[in-house]
Amino acid sequence: MKKALHIIFILCIVVVFGMLVIKKDTPENAFSENYLTETENITYPAQNKNITLDGVDYLQSQAPVGKFGGELVISTIGEGPKTFNPCNTKDATSSSMAGILYDGLLTTDARTGEVIPQLAKSFEIKGTDYIITLRKGLKWTDGVPITADDVIYTYKDIVFKGLGNTSARDSMMVRGKLPELVKIDDYTVKFTTPEPFAPFLRQLTYPIVPKHYFKPHSDQGDSVFGAFLNPNTPPTQIVSNGAFKLKEYVAAQRVVFERNPDYYKVNLKNEKLPYLDKLVYLIVGDTNNEILKFEAKEVDVLGLRGSNVARYKLKEPTSDYKIYNLGPDTGTLFLVINLNNRKNAEGKYYVSPVKQKWFRNRNFRNAVDWAVDRKGMVKNIAQGVAAPLFTAESMNSIYLNKSIKGHPQDKNVSKEFLNKAGFYLKNGILYDKDGNRVEFDLYTNAGSLDRESIGVMIKQDLEDLGMKVNFKPIEFNSLVNKLSNTNDWDMVIIGLTGSPLEPHDGKNVWTSSGPLHLFNQRPQNYKNDDRYSWEVELDNIFEEGALKLSFKERKPIYDRYQQIIYEEKPIIYLYSPTRITAIRKRFKNIFPSALSGLVYNLEEIYVGDDEEKTSLGGAK
Amino acid sequence: MEFWRYVAKRILQTIPLLIIVSLISFFIIRLSPIDPLAELKLNPSISQETLDKEIKRLNLDKPIYVQYFSWAKSFVKGDLGYTSAGEKVSSKLKERIPNTLLLTLVVIFMTWSVGIPLGIAAAYKKESSFDRMLTVIASIGMAIPSFFFAILMLIFAVKTSWFPVGGLTSYNFNDMSLLGKVIDISKHLILPSLVLFTISLSGLQRQMRANMLEVMDSDYIKFARAKGVSEFKVVFKHALRNAVNPMITLLGFEFAGLLSGAALTEYVFQYPGLGRLILEAVMKSDINLVMASLMMGTIMLIAGNLIADILLMITDPRLRTKG
Repeated sequence: MKKALHIIFILCIVVVFGMLVIKKDTPENAFSENYLTETENITYPAQNKNITLDGVDYLQSQAPVGKFGGELVISTIGEGPKTFNPCNTKDATSSSMAGILYDGLLTTDARTGEVIPQLAKSFEIKGTDYIITLRKGLKWTDGVPITADDVIYTYKDIVFKGLGNTSARDSMMVRGKLPELVKIDDYTVKFTTPEPFAPFLRQLTYPIVPKHYFKPHSDQGDSVFGAFLNPNTPPTQIVSNGAFKLKEYVAAQRVVFERNPDYYKVNLKNEKLPYLDKLVYLIVGDTNNEILKFEAKEVDVLGLRGSNVARYKLKEPTSDYKIYNLGPDTGTLFLVINLNNRKNAEGKYYVSPVKQKWFRNRNFRNAVDWAVDRKGMVKNIAQGVAAPLFTAESMNSIYLNKSIKGHPQDKNVSKEFLNKAGFYLKNGILYDKDGNRVEFDLYTNAGSLDRESIGVMIKQDLEDLGMKVNFKPIEFNSLVNKLSNTNDWDMVIIGLTGSPLEPHDGKNVWTSSGPLHLFNQRPQNYKNDDRYSWEVELDNIFEEGALKLSFKERKPIYDRYQQIIYEEKPIIYLYSPTRITAIRKRFKNIFPSALSGLVYNLEEIYVGDDEEKTSLGGAK
Repeated sequence: MEFWRYVAKRILQTIPLLIIVSLISFFIIRLSPIDPLAELKLNPSISQETLDKEIKRLNLDKPIYVQYFSWAKSFVKGDLGYTSAGEKVSSKLKERIPNTLLLTLVVIFMTWSVGIPLGIAAAYKKESSFDRMLTVIASIGMAIPSFFFAILMLIFAVKTSWFPVGGLTSYNFNDMSLLGKVIDISKHLILPSLVLFTISLSGLQRQMRANMLEVMDSDYIKFARAKGVSEFKVVFKHALRNAVNPMITLLGFEFAGLLSGAALTEYVFQYPGLGRLILEAVMKSDINLVMASLMMGTIMLIAGNLIADILLMITDPRLRTKG
């Protein structure tokens, strides 16, 4: 009897604790897609202007004048920055942190995607000449003036020599030749490209670094330069020119930036920006932790996904945050099919010859494409917070081929394609024309719930056609090993980030010799005499597109490349998540942009009064 | 003299052990199909040249045994090498070791100072309702998975906002006064240490109870009682001294777990400790970092056992005479 009482007592404690902790605060039937609203009209400020005060060329922000002080806390998922050296960043977190510290000559307009001056006062393009005029009177954080020498040093000693991350150099090469760079005077430089080369202008957004601070390290070669400005560098030593300077880095916890009091951007009253005293990035391990931190008000900004949208939208009216719809994401999710027909070093085929016959058959790929239920994925996996995707360019790309409309799921069309290719069904099992059962592996990276659910849906749809699909989620690093080294895979669900502004950035994926030519990966220095005719056309497109300068000339070229991918389907695009972001209402000067997100204008954001409350109270 | 020879012998024995452990772990990690450069390779803007440079820097173009020897050579010299992101392994470990030590020491202190008395009390009042209650609580503590308990605690922190959600310090930590800093750290420590405490307390308490019961049943305790020795003296002088020996061995294992015992809890609480660092390193096959931590774990385990043996020699006269 006593024992039973004890057990009941303990159970009660557990249940009460459990109820306290696991209480649902939104109704069961709240579907996120019902809560997707367009953000209301926001008046965007005009473009920044140049203004000269006391001999210093400032950049004047046209955003409403705000209040100085306060701090903004953002989260970054993962392990935090690995370096603050802007020339050596290889991951997104490091480059965004280094990007806060170092400005480039030019920058991308957050809303239109145009290239606009930043450190440069103005730029002029005359054929293959790019003449850049710098602002006068600008200083590094240690007081040394910023001059043309810093620009020359950054490009000649770091970029052109291939120190750190060489991607910038590769993107500037035109048929193996680098542009020339000359100093005209202390505040003017001239770049000359060997041929007209469209992507070059965007390369001038590369961060400019201080010669007097970097040179002693860059002179000692790549290995010393690689360790330079690692996260353990004392923050006060770092000489930078961005809106914020580094204040503190605590491993696996946070990065704290403080206001650069000598920044060259001013507001309409000619007061020096930024408004915020501090900018804090909390390093969090995963999205769940990020959500908890937002709920506990430790973080001010939160990207919402799927089912969370409904929950936060329902709570928005009574909360202290506001939700913005930023439109489709720049990332793409896709199913890639292995068209590889080569042998590995041991003389064995990467993909067995039987499977090669299926995968290299366009009808087979079309059958797969028509069987995929994109609408179902959007509804069930992304909870409606996404849109079906059919193009290789992401949906917010300025080069998106809008004539590709896509198609609904239709398994009868799939069956027709399979018939055409000689496949036949017997007792619900699909055989090819040589009588082999159609069976293959489908991989994705384990741990990503979205991709695993996509895999299950695709497996079901393809099995309805009589195929046998072995769906295997594996560890991310093992999956990449398969994709880039061992090539022993059949189909993979994975995603890539793309640039919505410059399709040429995808050349590593689409050119036949690219290191990320996933669907038909050739070894390095392989003679590419086994290209499909459409692969040849893609190679030409990516060469030709870069040499044309105007958007008007380039658009049809890149439209064609999306058309080819859509017709040939080596990669079957699935959907693009919609970006929904919540931010605390007290932050003002928030101008959501489909290209850049919500908090890109860090120097313009300020902490307002809690006017929402006071004004409402006053009205009543 | 005898004693020092024994210690020296034990230390020498660790060398072949370390070699074997390092060989096995190095080859297992390197032969697993994990690409240490996966993230770079899947980034469309990373060029082949950058990749080649990384492969060369990480020695990935050489056969495994060459990689092993170059690692072993620098390890013997005391150089732990660089992580795959190019940071020094030793400085990376230095950042994290104090944090993990802080958490585990707090937990060990709490569990031992609560667990041992509870165990003694439970044994002394065997079969009483107090003992039964402890048994039920201990069963719950043993049964609940640490990560699940940790998640419940996190949600608890969010709902009540009495505690911060994970981490070790608040973002404005450096602007606080000394007292404020101490309070801030303690606030962050309470939940993770509570989780670890609940889980290890049960085991310790049960162990102590069992030892104590065994001793209390023995003839010399009955004899002491018959002789009319006071109950206090029976328990604390005669019974406890004999019951504590197995606990000392356990303390040796606790020592080994100082740096590695809390990985799961650390991960859930986003605690900036070693466990989280190593877990992430294993996922990415960051060989130098993983090897350094494995070697450290091995050394800690051996040292823990050695310390336990030495302590046993001190507490147990029987072992001393045998040498």
